[in-house]
Amino acid sequence: MQLLNIEPNQKSRRPLTAVIALMASATLLLAGCGAGSSESAPSASAVELQQGGTLVIGAEQEPDCMDWIASCAGSIWGSYMAQITTTPFVFNVRKNGEDWVPEISGIMASEPEVSAGPPQTVTYKFNPDAVWSDGTPITSADLKYTALQIRDGEDVLDKTGYSAIEDIATPDAQTAVVTFNTVYAGWKTLFSGSYGLLPSHLLEGKDRAALMADGYTWSGGPWVIESWKKGESITLVPNAGYWGDKPKLDKVVFQFTADTAAAFQAFKSGQLDAIYPSPQLDAIDQINTGIPGARVQVDAASGNLEAIWMNNATPLLKSQAVRQALSYSIDRAAIVERVYGPLGVKSPAQSFYPPSLSAFGGQDFSVYSLDLAKVDSLMTGDGWAKGADGIWAKDGNAANLKITTISGNLRRELMEQVIQEQLKTAGFGLTIENAAAADLFGTILPDGTFDLGLWTLVTTFPDPGLSFAFDSNSIPSDANGFSGLNYSRTDVPGLNEILATVDSSIDAAERLKATQDGDKLLADSATSLPLAGVPNVLLTLEKVGGPTSINPAEGPFWNLEQWGLVK
Amino acid sequence: MAEVTAVAKLPSNGRSKFLQRFIRHRLALLGGLTLLFLFIACFGAPIFAPFPKNQQDLLLGPVPPSFEHLLGTDDLGRDYLTEILYAGQVSLLLALSVALVSTAIGVLVGVLAGYKGGWVDNLFMRITDLFLVVPAIALLALALQGLGRSPFSIVLVLSLIGWTYIARVVRGQVLSLREREFIEAARVIGANDRQIIWKHVLPNLGGVIAVNVALAVASAIIIESTLSFLGFGVQPPQTSWGNMLSQASGLIGTSKVYLLYFPGLFILIAVLAVNFVGDGLRDALDPRSGSGSMQGRKRK
Amino acid sequence: MFAYAFRRLIYSLPVLVIGSFLLFWSVRTAFDPLAKLRQIRDPEVIIRETQRLGLDQGILVQYWRWLSGFVTGDWGVSSRTSGSVKPMIQSALTVTLELLVWGLLFAFIVAVVLGVWSAVRQYSFSDYALTGISYLGLALPAFWFGLILIQFLAVWPQQLFGWDEPLFFFVGLTSAGEEPTFIDTARHMVLPVLTLTVGLVATWSRFTRASMLDALSSDYVRTARAKGVPRRRVVVSHALRNSWGPLVTVVSIDAALLVGGLLVTEQVFSIPGMGRLFLDSLLAGDAFVLLPWMLITGIAVIVLNLVADIAYGLLDPRVRL
Repeated sequence: MQLLNIEPNQKSRRPLTAVIALMASATLLLAGCGAGSSESAPSASAVELQQGGTLVIGAEQEPDCMDWIASCAGSIWGSYMAQITTTPFVFNVRKNGEDWVPEISGIMASEPEVSAGPPQTVTYKFNPDAVWSDGTPITSADLKYTALQIRDGEDVLDKTGYSAIEDIATPDAQTAVVTFNTVYAGWKTLFSGSYGLLPSHLLEGKDRAALMADGYTWSGGPWVIESWKKGESITLVPNAGYWGDKPKLDKVVFQFTADTAAAFQAFKSGQLDAIYPSPQLDAIDQINTGIPGARVQVDAASGNLEAIWMNNATPLLKSQAVRQALSYSIDRAAIVERVYGPLGVKSPAQSFYPPSLSAFGGQDFSVYSLDLAKVDSLMTGDGWAKGADGIWAKDGNAANLKITTISGNLRRELMEQVIQEQLKTAGFGLTIENAAAADLFGTILPDGTFDLGLWTLVTTFPDPGLSFAFDSNSIPSDANGFSGLNYSRTDVPGLNEILATVDSSIDAAERLKATQDGDKLLADSATSLPLAGVPNVLLTLEKVGGPTSINPAEGPFWNLEQWGLVK
Repeated sequence: MAEVTAVAKLPSNGRSKFLQRFIRHRLALLGGLTLLFLFIACFGAPIFAPFPKNQQDLLLGPVPPSFEHLLGTDDLGRDYLTEILYAGQVSLLLALSVALVSTAIGVLVGVLAGYKGGWVDNLFMRITDLFLVVPAIALLALALQGLGRSPFSIVLVLSLIGWTYIARVVRGQVLSLREREFIEAARVIGANDRQIIWKHVLPNLGGVIAVNVALAVASAIIIESTLSFLGFGVQPPQTSWGNMLSQASGLIGTSKVYLLYFPGLFILIAVLAVNFVGDGLRDALDPRSGSGSMQGRKRK
Repeated sequence: MFAYAFRRLIYSLPVLVIGSFLLFWSVRTAFDPLAKLRQIRDPEVIIRETQRLGLDQGILVQYWRWLSGFVTGDWGVSSRTSGSVKPMIQSALTVTLELLVWGLLFAFIVAVVLGVWSAVRQYSFSDYALTGISYLGLALPAFWFGLILIQFLAVWPQQLFGWDEPLFFFVGLTSAGEEPTFIDTARHMVLPVLTLTVGLVATWSRFTRASMLDALSSDYVRTARAKGVPRRRVVVSHALRNSWGPLVTVVSIDAALLVGGLLVTEQVFSIPGMGRLFLDSLLAGDAFVLLPWMLITGIAVIVLNLVADIAYGLLDPRVRL
């Protein structure tokens, strides 16, 4: 399962549905399986850790609420800090060898059993030892409660998958049988990643939103939320009743930092023990300048793929020749070297699969490098001629385009200016029209009122499916309630079938071939142009020990219970 | 609300007034020349700038100040001096437009309120009360979020919010002018209101207006940069000193900190120069206020 | 005196009501309270919510509903957090008031000291130096000044002397995870207060200087001097006393400016006050928070003005309120 995430300005975790992350100033949505971190930290786990102590971690965002099911819970940071640490999931994404893969968590007695049906059913067996913080066992009733709250709720962040649930039977406390009303291949995403289980014995029949929105005292994970001081901090303390390995630290405080510049200074001065900055240029400069006493982990094998998206439905970009010409006009190598070079990303992405899924797809986009002669021949061949102003024109229409992204994202704004210059040299006019996150996400992209756009495709589950972003049925329309995420309006003959094979095939070789065919078709038709895999960065002071690493699905704090202070 | 004008003119003691005025005016002169220089440099940028506008050199990237690039280059390898000069066009033009438009509105309202008195006066003064109550920056951000962040809407909104101070000052002046003999005399010989306002009242307000324009320019430059920092200023790819400054705010403590210092320096110099000119004008207008007491009162 | 205060309050009411209506109207025009829901593109939900919130009624009716809710303590629900608006504003206001009180005190005291100092030593080197510094203070954008303060007063000294922690903190108002102590809060307060007040100190000190010069050259002070009252006493108990009034007036007029300065200061120093609340709500288009925010700050400014006017009366016996 794969997520495109648009991360509207600071918020939007649109879990386990395709969303698109325009990684703005604040968040990284990530995930994916695959190669894992290539530049992982010096093995800190070898260091001996002391029991106890307090850590203060800088957080770029504050969640709007902690009612994780509700639409106000769209902040990925909320999920990193307080949801993953307190709610139990059926599957966790864990590193297995080089890959991040879904693994059942300790609340399951065994791997859930799927029966293809029809109707498709999944049987979950609970571990009787797993309990909530008050000692009540985590049971099938909790699973049923959680599923129904999501499926039948009014104000729900995302119902994908849950709306396919027909019925849930709970023959006993340890067994839950979920029956689907359709074939649902992505069943592993249920009760995992975006929604953890909620305690039915505390919430059933009560106002869930009121009990959870401002924080809650129960927990099914290693941590308990001690306090949430709005605007200031979230404090976690160990869950005394936790059934697994208990945390080493006495307390973890997530301190909200409103200004990146101040956050870096605070980290340098030791007021913050760890920060997880979005890879903006100033953050990269700070890291390059060197921060004494800090450990920098750059995870280049992230699930983030930044691309120049083209709206294939506009009169101008309908033409494959024009799209190809644009792809030959842009010097991606120079852009990537300048922007991400300092973080070790030296060459542009040549596939629509992010670094974490590099096993899939091909290298077909490598044909597109700066080549003005090709631009000329393609454009001339398509009936265009350069006007007196040096801009291509055809039938009285000049080749003028608009590019958009979230306003206030310095990195993207600079990229836009480079693209503007490069396109001008090649004979295309480009104006920059950025918009607020809400407008971009809410209207501009769904309505298709843009020509070019810069945003990031974020993969959050170990699966190479791309149909949500490129299947022509996913083009936002009345038919799908404008919820489709094929914002580039890609509609290439034969592509839907290939993507369907990727989604459904269980034969590894056939599936791999299909991903390569898909990539090739996308490259040949130049529907959009991948730029680079965006790395994730975690900075910790040397006094922080433990196996700190970035989990592409669950963020940097997924194993916080193993962190500690170095002895 | 207490009368601002009641405290506007404060005589200083007479000691070494000459020396003081001399220095002050020298500062004003210096400020004026600096401003002139900035204007010529910025608006003559196509001639004076060392490089063409927006000429990128991605291979070069950001380099610190050197002989070739006096103020260094930015992330895209653009000559920073060139970029600052072009950004100055936007900053200066924006500030000047705000100053002129808000002063025009303020003078109009102030003259009408002071001259007509009665309900007109009451109405206008209550309106200015409204503006005193809500923090201007908040109102600005709110309006710009609604209107979009083009330079035009920034000028519009800043002007619509900035006129109240000058309106109060002008009203106070007009109130006292109205009772003066020459106005009475004009009225007696049959001049109508419009003639009196144009021929007798406005010319006497010249000094106040000039001072206000200067101070409004200074505050507009500062406010524009603050708005940029909060995300409501001039949007890229358009540049202003304010947005260059705020875009570089994260670079403190890095080797690229020069990108933060130079736009700030230009803002500092421009605002200082404008303030000097404003004070000089005020002194020339009213030697008694030699201490420049009200300087900066306009920073709303 | 209190009759005057009461009269002033009554007199401010129409200003508030009209002002809040204009704000209500413009916020409603600029922000769609249903913007978030519209993304779902479900016409039924939109119709239902429109009716529930009464958005289909006239603007006056809507305003009346909102205002009566506000007066009776029902401030509505934030569309950003789905939480009740009142506690959000209450907690933000508490934090901000702390900052404001310290800021006002600091700015006032420093401005008076510097202003008197320069007035007494008119045309001396220190007078010119202070004048020069106050010019600089007026020419610095506050956020720039704040960032530079962090670098020069916190980070560099720490690196220079190899301290474990900086002398002044700059994230929040208390150290995370620790019980707040006075010293700790003070160390967090210094840099934000300096940032918040740089412009005010510059303005007010120049104003004090001018008004002191005025008082020092008055007949009243000259007489006192002639009668042999020591210079120091003349300055403090004669000249300064006569300068309070105008200064207090200026302070009250600048109150709104101070609230505006909070936006920048709270952003730079991650302080969870009214400024941050405003920015967060504005970016999220959260009209339900913006309206009471405006009204509360408006009331706060009016109260501040009123306090200043009363103080004026108390300080300057020549004024009859």
